[in-house]
Amino acid sequence: MNQKELQKFISYLVDNYQVFAPQEEEKKVIIKEISSAKTAALTSQLPFFSWKKFFVPEKEIMFSFKNSALIQNGAEKSSQIALLGVNILDLRSILLYDAVFANDPYYQKQRKNTLIIGYGPEVKLTDGALRKIETEDLKCLPFDIFLYNINQGAKDQKYNIFSATEKGKKILSEIDYKDYTEIKFIGHKYNSFLEEKKNLRREKLKNNHIQKIWDELGKICLECGKCAIACPTCFCFKINDCPELTEGAGERARCWDSCFYSEFSEVAGPVSPAGEKPKFLKNTAQKIHFWYYHKFARIPDEYNMMGCVGCHRCVEVCPVGINIEEVMEEVEKS
Amino acid sequence: MKNPYATQTAKLIKITNQAPNIKLFRFDLDKKLDFSPGQIIFLSIPGFGEAPFAPCNPLETDFLELCVRKVGKLTQILHKLKIGDSVGIRGPYGQGWPLFSHCESINGWTKQSQSISTKLPHDHNIRNNKIKNLMLVVGGLGLIPLRTLLWGKNKFLPNETKIQIFYGAKTPDDFLFKNDYAEWKEQGIDLKLTIDKECPGWNECVGVVTALFNKNMISPNAIAFLCGPPIMYKFVLEKLKEKNLPDENIYLSLERRMHCGIGVCQHCAIGSFYTCKDGPIFRYDKIKNIPNAI
Repeated sequence: MNQKELQKFISYLVDNYQVFAPQEEEKKVIIKEISSAKTAALTSQLPFFSWKKFFVPEKEIMFSFKNSALIQNGAEKSSQIALLGVNILDLRSILLYDAVFANDPYYQKQRKNTLIIGYGPEVKLTDGALRKIETEDLKCLPFDIFLYNINQGAKDQKYNIFSATEKGKKILSEIDYKDYTEIKFIGHKYNSFLEEKKNLRREKLKNNHIQKIWDELGKICLECGKCAIACPTCFCFKINDCPELTEGAGERARCWDSCFYSEFSEVAGPVSPAGEKPKFLKNTAQKIHFWYYHKFARIPDEYNMMGCVGCHRCVEVCPVGINIEEVMEEVEKS
Repeated sequence: MKNPYATQTAKLIKITNQAPNIKLFRFDLDKKLDFSPGQIIFLSIPGFGEAPFAPCNPLETDFLELCVRKVGKLTQILHKLKIGDSVGIRGPYGQGWPLFSHCESINGWTKQSQSISTKLPHDHNIRNNKIKNLMLVVGGLGLIPLRTLLWGKNKFLPNETKIQIFYGAKTPDDFLFKNDYAEWKEQGIDLKLTIDKECPGWNECVGVVTALFNKNMISPNAIAFLCGPPIMYKFVLEKLKEKNLPDENIYLSLERRMHCGIGVCQHCAIGSFYTCKDGPIFRYDKIKNIPNAI
C-alpha cells in the first residue's frame, strides 16, 4: 500500500468510524481522535499513554438505579470506533484484556465495536529501545488489519497489509484494496526467549521469595500509583456506587483502581489507635510485591503470558526511578 | 451474555438480634439460592455498594439468612432496614468447606451442587478414608459460615463422624446462634465454649480459643476447619501442629476485600489465588508458603 492508498484507507475509516490515532503534541505522542486523513500520523514512537482506556475505561457505568432497583447500563448501541496505528506492544496487552474479560458483557460489547489497525514492525520506546516483530509472529497478535511498514524511516513509505478478521477484509474490499495477506490469528504465543523469561520469573517469584528486594523497593516507592495508571496491562478495578440527590437513585460504576492505594485491601473492622482500618497490604513493600507478583506470577499462572509487555511506561513515569527491568533482573538472579 | 454483576431481589422478612451489634437477617428470594456451606454471596444496597457475606441458613429452607455485624458503611444501612425492605443478592461464589466425598450418601449432593455453582477443585474434596471426625475451631463471627454445615451434618457428613467445636468469644453475650446449641448437642455435637475474660455467672472455660486445647482431648483422625480472625489462626495452627495434624487436613477461611466476586478485580488475591473464586476456604498446605496469606 502506498501513501495515496493509505490516505484513501484512512479517509474511509474517518467516514465510517470515530477514529483514534497517535499524534504528536508538545513533543509527546498522545492518542487523539482524528477528523481527517491529513491529521493521522503513523509513528513508531510509543504513545505516552497506552490504548487501555478504549478497552478498560477509567470509569464505566455498569448499572443505574432508581428506587433502589438496578438497571443494566449499555442497552443503547455503543459507538463504532477505530484504533489506528496500535503498536505491537500495545497489541499484546489487548491479548490479556481479551482473556481477562472473556465473560464480561460490558467489555465484549465495546470490543465488538472496536476496529483495531495495528502498525509495525517497529516501536521505539521513550528510552530509545527498539522492539520489532517478525512477519511470522503477526499471527499471535489481535488486530483486524496490520500496516507493516517496509521502509520505516524512508520518505516515501510503503506498507505490506495483513488482515486477520472478516471485518478487516470487508473494509479492504470496500476501498477496493486487494493486495493484502490473510493471516489466521492463533492467539497468544511467545518466542522461546520470552517463554523462558516468563517461566524463570514466575518460578523465582513463587518459590524463591526474597523479602530484601521488596523491602528495599518499599523504602523508595512513594505509592503514587503512576505506574499502574501508565501500565497498559494494569486492569484492576473497584466497583463504586455514586448516589444522586434523589433518594434511591444513582449509578454503580467500575473504576480504575491501584494496589498502591490504601483502600485497596482495606476491610471493615475495628479501627487501629492510629485511625487506620484493618487491611491486608500493610506496607509499601507488600504493595510493590503485590504489583510485581500479579504481573510475573499470577497472570502467567492464569493466562500463560506475562502481565508486562515491556513498554517501559512505568519506568518513564516513576518519580523515584524504579526500573522494572532492573527489578526483574534482580529477581531472576536471586 | 449473562451479566455476572446483576443481582436478584431479596426481601427482608425477619430480623433477630444475635449479639450486640449483630443481627440475623432472613430474606425471601425469587429464585432459591443453592450454595455449598462456606461459599459467599454479595449483598447489594444501591447507593451504598456491595459486600461479601457467607450465608448461614439451613440448606433445605427456601429463605436466605445472613448474620451481620454493624461495622462498615453497608452494614450500618443493612441494620437500619425494616421488614419488607429489599436488597440485591448475587452469587454464590468460591469454594466452601470440603465435603466428605468418600461417603456415597453425599455424592449426589456434591454433583448437584457442582452443576449449580462453581466446581470444587479435585484436591478440595476429602478422599482420605481414615478421616472420620471433624474439628471446628471458631473465633467470634467465625461460626457464621459453619452454621449451614452444622444444620445439614447428616447430609454432608458420614453418620459416624463426630463433630467437636472449640468456640471462643469475647463475652458470653457475643456467642452467636445460642438458640441452636441445644439441638446441636442433642445431635451429638460436642460444643466447647470459652470467653476471653472472667465474667460473673460463667462457669466454663476462660481464655482464648487455644485454652480449650489444654483442657480437652481432640478427636482422633480429625480434619480441622478454622474460622475466625487471622490472629487466632497463628495460635491455633501451632496447637494443631503440636497434635500432629497434617497441613492437608487443615482448612481455613480467609478474609479479603472483594469487589467483583469472580476473580478479576484483584483486590482479594493471595499469591496466585483469589479469595472470592478459589476461597474463601483454603487448604492450609496450599497457602502456607505465600507471604502474608494469613
